[in-house]
Amino acid sequence: MSAPAQGFMVVSLLDEAISGLWRARRMTALSILLISFSLFLVGVFFLVAENLRSVTETVREETAVTVFLKADVTEAERAALEKLALESRLVAATRFVTPETARERFLTSWKSLATASATLPRNPFPASLELDLLPDAVGSRAISGFLDNLRAQRCAEDVQFDVEWIRRLRGVVAVVRAGGIGVGLLLALGAAFTIANVVRLTILLHRDEIEILRLVGAPEVLIRGPFVLGAVLQGLLGGLLALGFLWAAFEGLLRYVAATQNVLLGVFVVRFVAPEAMAVLVGGGVLAGLLGGAFGVRRKNLEG
Amino acid sequence: MIEFYSVAKEYHGRRVLKDVTFQVGRGEFVFLTGPSGAGKSTLLKMLFRAERPTSGQILVNGMNVGIMPHGRVPELRRSMGIVFQDYKLLPTRNVFENVSFVLKFLGVPMSERKRRAYQTLRLVELHHRLSALPEELSGGEQQRVALARALVNDPELLIADEPTGNLDHRLANEVMKLFAQINVRGTTVLVASHDMDLIRSSGRRCFTLDRGRVLEGLVEAALPPQAQGKRDLPVHEEL
Repeated sequence: MSAPAQGFMVVSLLDEAISGLWRARRMTALSILLISFSLFLVGVFFLVAENLRSVTETVREETAVTVFLKADVTEAERAALEKLALESRLVAATRFVTPETARERFLTSWKSLATASATLPRNPFPASLELDLLPDAVGSRAISGFLDNLRAQRCAEDVQFDVEWIRRLRGVVAVVRAGGIGVGLLLALGAAFTIANVVRLTILLHRDEIEILRLVGAPEVLIRGPFVLGAVLQGLLGGLLALGFLWAAFEGLLRYVAATQNVLLGVFVVRFVAPEAMAVLVGGGVLAGLLGGAFGVRRKNLEG
Repeated sequence: MIEFYSVAKEYHGRRVLKDVTFQVGRGEFVFLTGPSGAGKSTLLKMLFRAERPTSGQILVNGMNVGIMPHGRVPELRRSMGIVFQDYKLLPTRNVFENVSFVLKFLGVPMSERKRRAYQTLRLVELHHRLSALPEELSGGEQQRVALARALVNDPELLIADEPTGNLDHRLANEVMKLFAQINVRGTTVLVASHDMDLIRSSGRRCFTLDRGRVLEGLVEAALPPQAQGKRDLPVHEEL
């Protein structure tokens, strides 16, 4: 087939596909809504996964042990504590935080309490030593003994680090992420299945038309092509609509969080899905349309 | 143009056509008649490979229809115009689209499609109903749309299954005149009909299907009484 003929064929296919979708516009609208709902569920999974990832990253960044120091701590005691930490092979770096720095941090984090803080007769924040842990330190068996050792030091007022809580959170995140991949795959398959059934239903409605097209000599590509292309277009529109719904839901949640100052939601609803995930969602709609369309126009379906 | 050699067709062990042999030359106008259920429609369907012969050979324009690959069937069908007994119009497309979409398969540009569809619809006097849907047309008008669709591609062979079955006598005569005009232009025409008066008045060559066999000529003895001109039918004009 020559290039102009191929171009003409593509234009004809597109024309037939769009005309077909428009002729059955109610059915098309319903199909797109069904597809977008399936893809929306996939998108919700992406959104949850993205925000869990964000929480995990935050936790990883913040896996620091804080040793609050007594007011009478000497320079030598502090140096000995730093040496002990660095020699444990669990700590990557140490950071001394003066009472003044601690107060500044508080004022930055809790601006609304700045006025109340200013009225205090003296700085209530103790000096502390922050120990940044190595990436695999939390999972190490040695961490508990190390923390006990820190607590036993004379200059240590208190040691703050809930290793069990972090371990549990990491475990939950790992389970959710692993389970999420399975759920995401199931939802994507569900979307493809929905599209395939929508195409099959469309074919059932057009069976007479297909028979007539065959009898008057329409090429197979012009009989099947518009259905497949129509399914791809439906998948594309469904993907875009799902993305729109997801954005609206996310914005709605953000506003709800802002209005209610819900701390838990505030932690978990932080960012929208990454551009790659958006592309996967829309591309997934197109792919599901292609697969569903190809499945729907099998000879068995076309000939009943 | 059309050659049947010892063609037989069976459905679930029941023989509908037996040892059918006949030829229709290029440019001929031939009628095929026979009582209801004689196998007229089956015979026509085998010409455009909607049915396959159980045995024997069918040649259409030199192509062996019975054994041709499935992928070449659309090409065969596009080379002929077919008027179906039940019209087979696309219900969701208007008159213009029903007539012109065949040209679309052939890569005819839109402007040319419009011109040819309009000309053909003018021929069947339906050029004023371009945007009507089939359900808005009478039976006769639908028949004429089906005829226009069959003719728009200027086919080498025109096959019509009871094309006047739903038309009044005036329209039936008009359609037959149209077939005659098309035939004059060189198109081979094969019309299946059980209207004896129409066939007699045409003076054309005729085959009669009798108990699964094809007999040359209008064999009235093979037909039921009501088909033998015993109704009070007006005489058709000479075609």
